[in-house]
Amino acid sequence: MKMPVALNVVLLVVGSSLFYTYVGQLVPQKQLLPPAEVAIAADLTTDQMVKVGFEVVQQKGLCLTCHTIGKSGTLRYPDLAGVGDRAKTRKAGMDDIHYLAESLYHPDAFVVPGFKGGMPTINKPPIGLTDKEILCVIAWLQSLGGTPSVTMQTTLPDQAQG
Amino acid sequence: MNPRLLIAAAIVVLLGLGGAVRVYFALENQAYHPPVRSLGVESGFPREQALKDIAKDREAKAKAKKYEAPTYRTLPFVSSRVAVWVVAQLHLMFAAFVLAVPMFAFIIELIGYFNGDKRYDRLAYEFTKLLSTSFSFTASFGGFLTFLLIMLYPAFTNYLMEIFSWTFFPYVALFFAEAGFLYSYYYGWGKFHPVVHLLLGLGVNVVGTLIMFIADSWASFMMTPGGVSDAGALIDPWAALDNFTWMPINIHRFIGNIAFGGSVAAAYAAWKFLGAKTDEERAHYDWMGYMGNFVAISAFLPLPFAGYYLAREIYGYNQALGIMMMGGAFSWLFIIQAVLIGNLFLAANYYLWLGMGRIEGTQSYQRYVKYLLAAIAVCFAVWATPRSILASVSEIKAMGGTLHPALGVLGVMSAKNTAVNILILTTYVSFLFYRRTGKRPTVAWAALGNAVQFLIFFGVSGFVIALGVYGYFVDAATRIGLSIPQVLSVLIGMVTMTVIDAFMLRGAEQTGETHWGKLPAISQYVLIFIAVTFTWLMGLMGYVRSGLRQHWHVYGVMRDQSVDAFTPTLGFATQVISVIVIIFFAFIAFVFWLSSLHDKPDWGSAGQGPRGSHGPGGGRH
Amino acid sequence: MTLFELPVLLGIVVAMALLRLVRASLLVWVLAWWIGIYVFVSRGFATPVPASAQHIYLGIVTLALFAYVTSSGERIRSFVDPLVNFAGDGRYTLALVPVLLALPALAAYREYVNAKVPVEPPFFARTVHPSPPTEITVHDQKIDMLGGDNPLRHLEKDDPAKFAEHVARGKDIYYEQCFFCHADALGGDGMYAHGLNPAPANFIDQGVLPSFQETFFFWRIAKGGPGMPDEGAPGDSAMPEWERFLSNEQMWEVVLFLYDHTGYRPRAREVHAEGH
Repeated sequence: MKMPVALNVVLLVVGSSLFYTYVGQLVPQKQLLPPAEVAIAADLTTDQMVKVGFEVVQQKGLCLTCHTIGKSGTLRYPDLAGVGDRAKTRKAGMDDIHYLAESLYHPDAFVVPGFKGGMPTINKPPIGLTDKEILCVIAWLQSLGGTPSVTMQTTLPDQAQG
Repeated sequence: MNPRLLIAAAIVVLLGLGGAVRVYFALENQAYHPPVRSLGVESGFPREQALKDIAKDREAKAKAKKYEAPTYRTLPFVSSRVAVWVVAQLHLMFAAFVLAVPMFAFIIELIGYFNGDKRYDRLAYEFTKLLSTSFSFTASFGGFLTFLLIMLYPAFTNYLMEIFSWTFFPYVALFFAEAGFLYSYYYGWGKFHPVVHLLLGLGVNVVGTLIMFIADSWASFMMTPGGVSDAGALIDPWAALDNFTWMPINIHRFIGNIAFGGSVAAAYAAWKFLGAKTDEERAHYDWMGYMGNFVAISAFLPLPFAGYYLAREIYGYNQALGIMMMGGAFSWLFIIQAVLIGNLFLAANYYLWLGMGRIEGTQSYQRYVKYLLAAIAVCFAVWATPRSILASVSEIKAMGGTLHPALGVLGVMSAKNTAVNILILTTYVSFLFYRRTGKRPTVAWAALGNAVQFLIFFGVSGFVIALGVYGYFVDAATRIGLSIPQVLSVLIGMVTMTVIDAFMLRGAEQTGETHWGKLPAISQYVLIFIAVTFTWLMGLMGYVRSGLRQHWHVYGVMRDQSVDAFTPTLGFATQVISVIVIIFFAFIAFVFWLSSLHDKPDWGSAGQGPRGSHGPGGGRH
Repeated sequence: MTLFELPVLLGIVVAMALLRLVRASLLVWVLAWWIGIYVFVSRGFATPVPASAQHIYLGIVTLALFAYVTSSGERIRSFVDPLVNFAGDGRYTLALVPVLLALPALAAYREYVNAKVPVEPPFFARTVHPSPPTEITVHDQKIDMLGGDNPLRHLEKDDPAKFAEHVARGKDIYYEQCFFCHADALGGDGMYAHGLNPAPANFIDQGVLPSFQETFFFWRIAKGGPGMPDEGAPGDSAMPEWERFLSNEQMWEVVLFLYDHTGYRPRAREVHAEGH
């Protein structure tokens, strides 16, 4: 009588653990790699910057964990579709490049009406994009509903010296 | 022990050793051996000279080597992450157990002191017996974890020392105090005035909780650092301790520990029940398991809300972190969590229904079981419905997206909050039925009381569901706020129903006797299943709390540059968790066995009955 | 939109009610509930429930039914006894054989169905009508997408005869070039349409012509599939870049024809172009 009980208990403990492991195998299996450090060449054309910018947005920038592109309805975070056009007129006396730069370097300086602030500062850790990467992201943002005009030579007030 | 079995085991071990030696020599034979040569032939082969040169070169290099402080070291076979993960989780589980058991041992002793029922005192002592070994295991695992951290992550450990070294002396002092209180509480059982002993118990709990608070600050600092500059330099030691998630984690762990400790203690009782030989033993361990499970489930009910508080603080610290948890890579983890919690609710209710079998005259409530079960299954299904369902391409096309038109509404917070509240309410009703089984109220207003309870139950359910539905029509901020009235209405409902019940059953007629120990053995396996599920759930939530940092040692301050910086798949994580759970239960089995030694007859005095006065079925002290 | 397949639901309810009349045993009830819920989740919804969600629900149902059956001695007995009788009683031997054969066959069939899943390309959540750039250049002419208008539209009031002429030419171009895919009746189901994925635009659909301004369709015609932004999956659409074949005026004429033929009006321009 004693032996079967011990065996049953062992089977129960191992069996339930195995069951939960099995449940764990059924969900999507995704391994997250830390963002690779990619050097960005200084002589990219604006078109190339758009492509690089989109990569940064998808990967290192983690932008799409919150932001959507072309989604309507009740949103928790501002949708980015058409932002390249809106950025031109969002803030009086500020052109699109500087508005977009401000919203990356100082996210809470202007919060889109209807949303709560709280976006992390993009050039600081944990996101920590470099100035070059931010230029590329701006190029990509401009391409959403606008024509990119930023270049690798554009200087922004918040860029680190040197 | 059977001598024949011993001899057989010795032979098996010898054979195994022999086999291992043979394998070793066989492998050795495969290694490179220089060809055997006649001694007469002069040795002047370039190979030998080259080998000598290489050796010399190596020696010269070794002598000239400069010391560099390593950032990481590695272990053979096991990755650093998994090693630290397993040991930290085991340390945490034993610590949780050691903190939780005195908590309810103290409460049970207190109840026993006030109502004078000796059974409570004995139960509290029985729980305490599990403590001393667990305490040393906790400390051993803690030491092991510290060594592993210093060894595998020296730079990071050094950084934590930089921030937290000022907490170490109080921590050590508290540890000594804990040892003092714990052992005097255990060995001093029945030796002091009850009040003095109760004060010792209180001391164990207060000191233990403080120890946990200090350790929590280290762990929570890694996730939501505070009090440091952008570059990581310490500015404000207290802000580093009292960081964003420190208090939420303290509260969450405090409650979680009680639930976990209760479930493991119930598993202990179940184990003893299954091995019991007399009806009296069975009755005692049935009661102990019931009490342990009662503690576990009562502590479990408020746990989701402590979890919401923690999650809210994580969002407050950094929205990206919150989104990563609930919407990003970790969102599927919460579907696994839903399966675990659904199982817990189902098993807890199931145990109560089986428990009705202890009491004569249960037919009147048995027929409600199916409706309770249906409610639980529906809530379980709602909770386990993912926001975006896994689907093949053709299925996605049929749905027109990853959102199912009918099931999509079940995937959001409104539905899940409602489901959890209804689950809690249902579990409470199961408990109410269990409590009332075998009793018939004699007060004049019994019918009215029943009707009012009924009204409260349906009123609260209706209110919770209505709020859940309303949540779909308001914006996110209002929706999150709705969870508070939902919880409050459930709490108020439970309290008023309990009060009515208490008055209504005052002087109730006993229609059936409660026979502790008279219930099917499967109920005891359910208790063990609950303990495994709790442990596994703890491992899973420990993983998400720690894994959320992704490639950071200290989120946003110190990056993980090691090869283990990636976040593994959920499948891999669940495998590691299962290994941890199985190791934990192996250790716990050892603890159970040790505490049962206490009741074993002395060697050489077989058949004389248990030694001492605390054995199950033995005398009461 | 109905969410459920009402006949299926009714069928389940009727079957359950019938079972109630014949006073079935617990075993039958458990099987009936399991099968009933299985039918409900697999066939009961207007939009089929994905297999992964079906698994979750049926797993929960199985657990719950197991808990119910084992929750008291009586229930265990009334569940197990019929099974034991069936397996042990000599009278049922003949019936037992097909059941014993059917169980592994059922498992094998399930495996077969699971293995037979066709190979499918990875899913991309394509935006059907992506938002256009602010400005495009077609045949060296800059066209303002937000403020611009169909240069021929004003003729509708100013010179109806000329307007009708343009519409007629647009009609000719449509039936020379477009109707192979977009169909005679503009329904997007032309003779080549079945070979295309994404399907050609259906101009009868209320969600297409009235939802956008004319510049939007000019952009889509001129720049075609390759001119889509990324979220529109530029590689997938088979729409040619018509600026290579048609003049600007011809494309505007086609746009005129589309609106004129369907009777829809372009979406009124917003005073202040704003996102969400």
